[in-house]
Amino acid sequence: MLFDSYKTDGFFDEMFGNGGGDAPRDHYGQIWDRFSVMNDEELQGKKGALDRSFLVNGITFTVYSDNAGTERIFPFDPIPRIIPPSEWETVETGLIQRITALNLFLYDVYHEAKIVKDGIVPMDIIESAEHYRPEFKGLNLPNDVYIHICGTDLVRDDKGDYLVLEDNGRCPSGVSYVLENRAAMKRTFPRLYGNMNVRPVDDYPLQLLQTMRYVAPHGKTDPVCVVLTPGVYNSAYFEHTFLARQMGIELVEGRDLVAVDGHVYMRTTKGLVHVDVIYRRLDDDFLDPTVFRKDSMLGVPGIVEAYRRGNVALCNAIGAGVADDKVTYAYVPDMIRYYLDQDPILNNVPTYLAWREEDRKYILENMESLVVKAANESGGYGMIIGPKATKEEIATFRERVKATPRNYIAQPVVSLSRHPTVCENGKAEGRHVDLRPFVLYGDRVRVLPGGLTRVALRKGSLVVNSSQGGGSKDTWVLRSSLGES
Amino acid sequence: MPTPPSPSNSDASSLAEILAAVEQGESIVHGSPDRQQIFRIFHRTVYTYGEKARRSTNEVRLTPKENPWQKVTFFLLTIRPATHVKQFRDLHGNNVHHFEITENHSRLVIEAQSIVRKTCKVDFEAFPYGSPMDALRECRRIDHCHEFLEPSHFIEVTPDIWRAAVDARGLSEDVFQTAYNIMTFVYKRFGYVPGATHVGTSAMEAFKAKSGVCQDFAHVMIAMCRALGIPARYVSGYLFDPAHDDLRGTQASHAWVEIFVLGRGGWFGLDPTNNKVVDEHYVSVATGRDYNDVSPARGTFFGGGAHRTLDVTVSVDRAE
Repeated sequence: MLFDSYKTDGFFDEMFGNGGGDAPRDHYGQIWDRFSVMNDEELQGKKGALDRSFLVNGITFTVYSDNAGTERIFPFDPIPRIIPPSEWETVETGLIQRITALNLFLYDVYHEAKIVKDGIVPMDIIESAEHYRPEFKGLNLPNDVYIHICGTDLVRDDKGDYLVLEDNGRCPSGVSYVLENRAAMKRTFPRLYGNMNVRPVDDYPLQLLQTMRYVAPHGKTDPVCVVLTPGVYNSAYFEHTFLARQMGIELVEGRDLVAVDGHVYMRTTKGLVHVDVIYRRLDDDFLDPTVFRKDSMLGVPGIVEAYRRGNVALCNAIGAGVADDKVTYAYVPDMIRYYLDQDPILNNVPTYLAWREEDRKYILENMESLVVKAANESGGYGMIIGPKATKEEIATFRERVKATPRNYIAQPVVSLSRHPTVCENGKAEGRHVDLRPFVLYGDRVRVLPGGLTRVALRKGSLVVNSSQGGGSKDTWVLRSSLGES
Repeated sequence: MPTPPSPSNSDASSLAEILAAVEQGESIVHGSPDRQQIFRIFHRTVYTYGEKARRSTNEVRLTPKENPWQKVTFFLLTIRPATHVKQFRDLHGNNVHHFEITENHSRLVIEAQSIVRKTCKVDFEAFPYGSPMDALRECRRIDHCHEFLEPSHFIEVTPDIWRAAVDARGLSEDVFQTAYNIMTFVYKRFGYVPGATHVGTSAMEAFKAKSGVCQDFAHVMIAMCRALGIPARYVSGYLFDPAHDDLRGTQASHAWVEIFVLGRGGWFGLDPTNNKVVDEHYVSVATGRDYNDVSPARGTFFGGGAHRTLDVTVSVDRAE
């Protein structure tokens, strides 16, 4: 049957390995019971039903730099990932601690920069970060929030400890898949889902809306909120439409907005409507051609002026990217100690900064065994995995690191945990997974229970990005029996 | 009105037994391990200033205490404007955060959030009876009791308070029973009137006014306990109201009293504002001689202007 020839191959396996043996872990008991009795026909039937529901609902994404059909269904694996309550508490509290420190850091960087004066973070690291916007120093934002929505990528190492791989503090995507995956799983495995006491995710759009309303300018109680999308060619366009629809607010493109005299308005069939809060799924660079890139056709001329005057709020704030820079990342544990006087609950992956001379030497000498990443890229672009890279790739990266050391970091290869995943032969095999939980920073900090589990579908691959052939799984965080009484 | 099971003769222990128990470090502990709760607590304090404030130095006591009945699995203190924060433990074992804000600011936000696992110290089937009033003089010799018998900033024992304490005690020869009687006395004779007193009202003033809020109820009860030689201390914290049955003090931070029961497990909580023995729904944050030792936030600053406001939000929820 499904798990007949399953091997953990010495990796940390999410489902198997109870007490060091090969038995399923306790919290996977019901999953084992349900899936191990399934015959091929039933499994294919379930899988077919899931794929069809994604296709029918148009849950697709766009792959850049691919000239063939660019719209794809996001591949989905039917075996859900289960997170027991005690494990989730660590993840949740660790994320709350982290986003809090990041927001305090951003406030500080754009005001007094005490953390620099006290010698914790070097000024040149901040000044050389691509997304640092010194022109916004001294600007006060509603409730001092910079990162309202954060998607933090977590991995588990060979001991099963959760590590933070990166913070996505600009425009993290993927939350729509979390919600759609859940809807599809509930339809396909209604009884299993019902029996396992899983924490729901469907109130995310409502909480996102509350997060936006919390930062409304001038404390307005009934603000007009919108989602600003770059348009249909963006890889996450589906998500933009999904979130706008779920929140019941307008989805706008740059050309639908107009900025007049320090205020932003939306063109509607009934005339201009004042806009207060914008969830922008558009990088800083494209926001306003008068301030940033002049060739941007996506932005709104004058929007930055309105933002400066405090008449419109942007989620996330302009310049928040200085916190998710991969070099700044290395300093997050220090920020947690400085602003909160605590040790980090979730640790970083050990990181070498090419910017430091001794680290650079180490990187250049050991590139074959390291993961090297560009500091400001995302989505799995601009990186190489040493052990899997060709000689030419390594040579190119060596030159790039030497030329612009500030732009590169390196990390040891973390042997990501694996999860049983249904393969083409109808058997379950271990595939590497990561986890992207979504954190909202509003009136309270809220972490969506679970998040997007991404699977590297190719055997042995460590790259889970959807743009690089990854798939996803539904993530079930179980309720603690205690809290319910 | 709930009445406690009354002490029977078999509960009474000899003074020698009691002192032996004290030697062993108060190892007699009851408790109901099955009464478990997990709470998420959020406490936000916002100061706004009409004119810019500067050079603000502050001490904050907002971390829930750690003890066998209370485990803090998560705590986070956020200060805005962002600044460097340091912690230390004070004389009473409370966790204190210290910070300074040097720049001009018109708003100071102090946010504490925590997750606390609670059980109940007292066994509701068997209250810690059996410690005789006669043995109280021994308490003076115990280091950590002495200061809780002496006068403190807000609490002094006046003849009137002593007289009331004697009345409230009645014929009780038992420490826990006596303290319970005093709690009920305060609960019944005093009016819960928000606004009748202020943060600087002393036990004597509240006693005269016969009204106040949880802080005053606690101060008066402490004064009455001390009058009879029962060591009593002030506890600040939070109260979860499971049945929404109009418990007082759930809207903001709460305060109650702990009395020392020699030979029967040490400190036990009594809440004179609600006439309740402290159970798993109470989360203690700081203890001290009176409010002056435990105030959640205190500090100094320059400027700020005459127009200042203070806004406090507290929520206590069961965690999922």
